[in-house]
Amino acid sequence: MHELVLFASVPSHQHHELLQQLAGLTAMQPRHRLERRLIFKAYRRPGLINTRGGTGRDVQGADIVRLNKMLNGGMFYTQVIGPISEADFHNTKPSSSADPDHPMSHDEAAGNSYDYDSQPWKLEFRDIPEAGTRSTITARLTASATLPRGDIVTPMDAWGYSFVTEYVVEGDVFIHNDIVIFLHRVLQYPSHGQEPHEPRRQLPSFRDMSPLERTGGYILQAAITVQDGSNQELMRTASQHLFGLREQLKSVVRLEHADRLSLDTRAK
Amino acid sequence: MTTPTPDQIKSLEQSRQRLVQLTHSLGSLITSLNQSDPLPSWPSLQSQASIISSNLLTLSTHLSENHALLRGISAYPAPEFPTKTHANTLEQLLRTKLDPRVEDWVSRGRRADENLVTGATTGTTAGMTAGAGGGLSEGDLAALWEWAPVEANSEARRRNWGGNFTLEERERGVQSVAAELGLRRVLEDEGSEEEDEEEEEEEEEDEMEVVGVRKSVSGTGFEFDIAAAPGVAAQEGGVAPVVPLDEILRYMTTGVPPGQR
Amino acid sequence: MAESFKLPLRPIIEKRDRPDSLPRDIAQINAQWGSFRELSEAGLREKIEADKRKDQWAEEDEADTRAAELDDSDRKEQLYKRRAEIIQYALQAHMEASFALDFVSLLLSKHNPRQAETSMSPFLKTAAPLGSLNADVVNPPPRPDSALRDIKSVSRGWRLQSFNNAANKLLNAGSRLDTEVAAETGYWNEVLAVKEKGWKVCRLPREGQALGVQYGFLEATPIFRDRGLAALRRGEEGRLVLDKGLIPRKAQGVRVRVKCRDRIIGCSEVCRPAQDAETIESRILQARDTLFEEELFHEVMREARILGSQGVTTRQNLVCVPVSEEQEILLDLVDWDQDHASAGTAISSEHNALADAISHSIRILLTYAHRQNLRRRTQYPPPLAPKRRPVPEYQILRPIMAYLQHKSHIQWLETFIGDLRRVLESAGIGCDFKATDFSSIGVLPPSHVVSKVEALVGVFLAPFESTFSGTLTTPQSSFQVRIRTSPVVPPFGTFYDISAHLPQFPDVQPPSRIGLQEEVAEAVTHFVMLDIASSISLRNTQSRDASGGPGQQATGQLAWEVAYPHHGELLAVDSGGQSKKMKVNLSREELTVETYSLIRADGFPNPVAARSSTLLTQTWKPGSEPQPSLADFVTRASQASA
Repeated sequence: MHELVLFASVPSHQHHELLQQLAGLTAMQPRHRLERRLIFKAYRRPGLINTRGGTGRDVQGADIVRLNKMLNGGMFYTQVIGPISEADFHNTKPSSSADPDHPMSHDEAAGNSYDYDSQPWKLEFRDIPEAGTRSTITARLTASATLPRGDIVTPMDAWGYSFVTEYVVEGDVFIHNDIVIFLHRVLQYPSHGQEPHEPRRQLPSFRDMSPLERTGGYILQAAITVQDGSNQELMRTASQHLFGLREQLKSVVRLEHADRLSLDTRAK
Repeated sequence: MTTPTPDQIKSLEQSRQRLVQLTHSLGSLITSLNQSDPLPSWPSLQSQASIISSNLLTLSTHLSENHALLRGISAYPAPEFPTKTHANTLEQLLRTKLDPRVEDWVSRGRRADENLVTGATTGTTAGMTAGAGGGLSEGDLAALWEWAPVEANSEARRRNWGGNFTLEERERGVQSVAAELGLRRVLEDEGSEEEDEEEEEEEEEDEMEVVGVRKSVSGTGFEFDIAAAPGVAAQEGGVAPVVPLDEILRYMTTGVPPGQR
Repeated sequence: MAESFKLPLRPIIEKRDRPDSLPRDIAQINAQWGSFRELSEAGLREKIEADKRKDQWAEEDEADTRAAELDDSDRKEQLYKRRAEIIQYALQAHMEASFALDFVSLLLSKHNPRQAETSMSPFLKTAAPLGSLNADVVNPPPRPDSALRDIKSVSRGWRLQSFNNAANKLLNAGSRLDTEVAAETGYWNEVLAVKEKGWKVCRLPREGQALGVQYGFLEATPIFRDRGLAALRRGEEGRLVLDKGLIPRKAQGVRVRVKCRDRIIGCSEVCRPAQDAETIESRILQARDTLFEEELFHEVMREARILGSQGVTTRQNLVCVPVSEEQEILLDLVDWDQDHASAGTAISSEHNALADAISHSIRILLTYAHRQNLRRRTQYPPPLAPKRRPVPEYQILRPIMAYLQHKSHIQWLETFIGDLRRVLESAGIGCDFKATDFSSIGVLPPSHVVSKVEALVGVFLAPFESTFSGTLTTPQSSFQVRIRTSPVVPPFGTFYDISAHLPQFPDVQPPSRIGLQEEVAEAVTHFVMLDIASSISLRNTQSRDASGGPGQQATGQLAWEVAYPHHGELLAVDSGGQSKKMKVNLSREELTVETYSLIRADGFPNPVAARSSTLLTQTWKPGSEPQPSLADFVTRASQASA
């Protein structure tokens, strides 16, 4: 699969209004989304990623060949994504919570319902964006596959990937015809000196999460996936749809392609 | 029988220059009329008209100021003038008789004045104005004309000709007026007259819904327009993101913290 | 305010003199032909007359009011006429100014040749050499007073006239603004009222200055969705006008009728009371309703076309849905105000209610389809692929057809079982039947994914199921009939599943998924017959048990054994070795039991050939004279001596 993407930086004070504008544009309510994102990095040249049973079921035939070719040709960073909800976060400060659903008696044990072992995961592979050809739009090869639940480090290790770091992405999703609009920001875990070397089994209080962009700014991402990236007509259609959206939003935000190297997934 | 004095020449030269301006601006009016279908834009037409009018005014002021000087000049063809072949041209140049249409125009002015003098006796046309000022004496008229421009000017100055609120509304309080009108966003009350034209236009647009609908070009459905945010960054003094987009994306891709590369 | 300005600004009553167009014409002729020698007097007079007939001034003054009445082509013509006039004046002015400039330039060319030459017209340059005009200083005589007075008079006259014009223009502008403000105020008040009612007011597509109201359904098929927007225009005196485009549609609605053997016996309510049709709100509502109804019919039509195999037929503006052999449902799109009580109908309120119920249902189902569209639209889209997702036909007719079909099957089965029960009761056989109609429509499973309303409608899109069960006379015997009708998933139509629990005949099971009612009737009758037969044989055992030791014909009664159960035949051998046969016949109408004596008693009698003579026979029919019960009959038939 191919993904065509445009990005825009959204200052925090514009966030609320933009949400409303997007809701109007897409004629739908925003769908809130929280994701754990784990970064893995290849430490040795992996075998065929698709050889493990069941994990490659979302990878399309034509892509498998290319994916394998690429994975054999170089080493990559890849993301493991798991959906979570706010309830998964530790609720350590019940007294300051205005939420009536969480009474004062909440103790630490009961405050956290997060079960790491049943956390579903998905592997999201992104190639480095194509150079040159479509310089006004970020285009890249993508593949995704469902992974086993719970402990993910062991299977990833078997594939030759080691855990690098993790963060949380928080935002709202809108669907505009073929385009998935994701207005999101990166939240970092509170740091207590040493960065852990594996994914957290417990989540801290949501309030303790801090935005990577300190002013609270968001990223607007508009993406279309195309089944077959070699189909020029489809790629053109997809680009036109994205440009159409860019035009509609131009008085509010400037959607642009991203710096290619900032999305470089190659591991050196 | 003497040749014209330097003063006279100078005055003639000034007349020539003003006539050059006048012919030029008339010429460009004709050009722009011919080039547009049906008419040039209203503002451009108006500005051309006012240029011509000011040219005419300058010329006529000049002519009346130098009336005495110019009246003392008498023009006649020199022997070099090809009188035989270009009699018509000479006639045109030296013509003093008014063009019939101008003559008509003059006589209409004369008649209008006569009507004033003879009073309202014949006033049957506009019944509404019957008697209004009909009996003004010449002196009254002069006084009226002296008073009127000043008065009109000061009346005009008491008005605010731009902005979102009238003076009366401002006196009543902008907030209450806004509430009365059901404005969700209280419009800025500039108070001053130095409003940028562009900004004003934008203001108007902002009163609309945040989202407008339109049919899509391809005809496959609605599309929605998003009205411009009312100058967000500038107005609300919001904080621009300090971490560049690229750095965030790099962190999301490889885990490299911003600023560490 | 306008009043206070009137006095000072209008110092004069001007008698409007008709402008004499002759001088202008002369000038024009001069400009055009260079001389008016070429013009004949007659032609000139003609023109004068023509110009006099058309009053120039009046025309100018009335231009504004007349402009409104003129249609577009007239206005265009007018515009170009005026444009030509403007150009004419400008050319004339330019020419006059050029002459003056030429004159001054030529005059100056003697003293300042270089400068003066620049402003001479090309023609003059070729016609006259530089400096060919002399000037002398003279001492002109003073102008006579009369001339000075005249100049003064002319200038004062024009001044007056110009002030007057300016005053008129200001006043006109003022009053125009006044009406404009009033109209705008009225317009915006109405727009606000519309908005306060909850309608979505927005800018019009590509007509950014105009407002529109959106009343359509966002989730409708694009052709209908895009029509759900009308401009809110400012009409006369600021009244709000709903502009639905070039062809405003008539108010229409889908009508449902029930037809039975070529006669209309029921019709849904279509006419709605014309509630204050003049308010903008009601006009928006009407536009919305009509749009919805049109879409409804469009979708019904679309679905009907794929239902041809199930007997649904379509005509240009009619959909016929068969419900039973006699009944049909007709759907068509009619004007709201049409007279629906067409002649030759035999309307009954019961069927009206049915038509109304269907009419409500199809609307609910369309709305449900809209909700499904929203759900689909807001899911993550699949990757862009050459083939687009087709939009499936909505389920509007199918659930209704299935429901009606199911209901008619239930009714049939109920009638059938009722008949059977009466036959049995007349023979004194007790039985117990229980029906659970639409058992599939029961409790909603709680869900946080689907809202209650949607879940409720969803139930009607799932297969319908009803069960009938009966306990029979023989202990532990029972049977169950399950009726299932599937609206969407194949196989379409209604199927019966019959299961029986007969301890005496554990192997007897009917075929599953019976489609024909006759077969169902046959199977059920058969079970009941089997049950009766076995109950007769069991009765023997019971009485034997009651009388004491087993194997004894204690009371001298015959012991009936079920010999050919599926033929309803029992056999008994009396003490003398004489065989007797009993045959049970059950149908929907009656129960007949006969006994025969058999000639041979070798145990392998041919039931037909062996029949010798009928001993006893009894038939039970509901409603006939009370007769001895089956039990009595059996007792009688069992008399050994009989």
